[in-house]
Amino acid sequence: MINKSKFNLQYFLDDTSFENWAKSLNKNDIAYWNNWLQNNPQHIETAESAKAIIIGINFEKQFPKIDKVNEELAKILPKIGLEPTPKKASKKSRASHKVVYFSTAAVLLILMSWTSLSLFNNHNTTVHKTNFGEIIDLKLSDGTSVVLNGNSEISYNKDNPRLLNLKGEAYFIVKSIPSTNAKFWVITNDLKVEVLGTQFHVNTREKKTNVVLDEGSIHLELNNGDVTKMIPGELVSYSKESENLIHKKVTLETPYALWRGGTYVFNEIPLKEVMFNLELTYGVEVKYSSEHLKEIPISGGIPNQNLKICIAAIEKATGTRIINKGNILQVQKDPIN
Amino acid sequence: MDLHSDETLWYFFKKGETSAFTLLYKKFYPQLHVYGIKISNAPHLTEDCLQNFFIQLYEERKKPRVIKNLKAYLFVSFKRRLIKELQKNHNNIPISEAQFFKSNFTFSSEELSIHQEIRFLSTQTLKNLINQLSPRQKEVIYLKYYSDMNSTDIAEVMDMNYQSVLNTLQKAMTKLRIASENQQIKSILKKS
Repeated sequence: MINKSKFNLQYFLDDTSFENWAKSLNKNDIAYWNNWLQNNPQHIETAESAKAIIIGINFEKQFPKIDKVNEELAKILPKIGLEPTPKKASKKSRASHKVVYFSTAAVLLILMSWTSLSLFNNHNTTVHKTNFGEIIDLKLSDGTSVVLNGNSEISYNKDNPRLLNLKGEAYFIVKSIPSTNAKFWVITNDLKVEVLGTQFHVNTREKKTNVVLDEGSIHLELNNGDVTKMIPGELVSYSKESENLIHKKVTLETPYALWRGGTYVFNEIPLKEVMFNLELTYGVEVKYSSEHLKEIPISGGIPNQNLKICIAAIEKATGTRIINKGNILQVQKDPIN
Repeated sequence: MDLHSDETLWYFFKKGETSAFTLLYKKFYPQLHVYGIKISNAPHLTEDCLQNFFIQLYEERKKPRVIKNLKAYLFVSFKRRLIKELQKNHNNIPISEAQFFKSNFTFSSEELSIHQEIRFLSTQTLKNLINQLSPRQKEVIYLKYYSDMNSTDIAEVMDMNYQSVLNTLQKAMTKLRIASENQQIKSILKKS
């Protein structure tokens, strides 16, 4: 009876690792759930339903073209007494009025959050930058997909999106171009990643660069000149400053932190490191009511599109209470526990 | 993901900022346009209705509203307005929302990507299967996979509770899954 109510559709839909299984994304998750279903055949039907819901249907969305939308917009603006503001005029009012300046800037921020900020400067460089707590999905002109986490930035020359700089954290699904064998490069402070077609995750926070490879094959050129090759399922961590190199296989036993599809996947990571990630992604400050709370280990997937949900998930995973006051997160022992 | 920015957008929209109106319009016009035509099967009427919807939204921006999620709010209020408009066009014959959905809400082959995770079904077969689903199932599928809404927002748009949304979704996807499995079995039998 208890089992029946626990393993319902919602249970599977809410589980990040199950989602990976449904989408055939992560070797560990695939192995885990295949095994689980073998041992729990009574739940196969529900699990298959959940899988069908997760993979869904791919639509070729037939939205009206942007020209059409602009045309309709131009018709409607005069009707409600609004005129499109010319750019120069808005600049002028910004300079003369502090209040106006503030609200204009805020509206510009909105634009960033849903179209992503694309700055084209004189050097023909394209920059995509995210704010705290904002994640964007990018499609580069060569077909490569990039998911850029909060407080991160990529930049590249407009003519060559296959050579880009990264600050912060991103997940790449690189489009392979078999005809020319064109390589793809990601440059960070600590190293260069050289890629054919592949999926991998790069994190440059904490004065070191972490690279986790999901699929394909990549070479890393460290800033000290060393070259190392990675195979899927491996993690490399390197810091230019300390010249400290870690190269190991990600297994169920090793602690790791991955970020993929808007979810952080942690394995036996102490709370303080998880919260440090939050500080960088959302621009918050974390305080602890007691030192030992910092060491509580976390395993599992934490959705990080939204700070509130993220906090709720961490509270649940660690049995703590996290109080959000302004930009300060206070971690306390849960009084109920 | 952009829940936060929708809130900010709405805040400035209510203050009457031109740029906020423009952003809101550009963001939601395309989605509401397709959704409206799916319901009405009448492009002209839908476009007029959509323009008037945005005008009213702006003119009544100061009116207090309870908005949990902007996208769901816009979908549900536009749908209501459009259905009223359609009923007006049918003079005195009262036509329910369900009837509009039954006769109009369909998908074309062009709307289905040739890359589907549901395997063993041709785009044509998949299209036919989806179009044979019940009106509610079609709308759930539309809102979930075409408009990328989560189940909570779908519940709001369709005036159902959360669990019913899940059940409807499960029924619809199970039909497609079983069709896919049958096709797979057939193709295996053919080979041997």
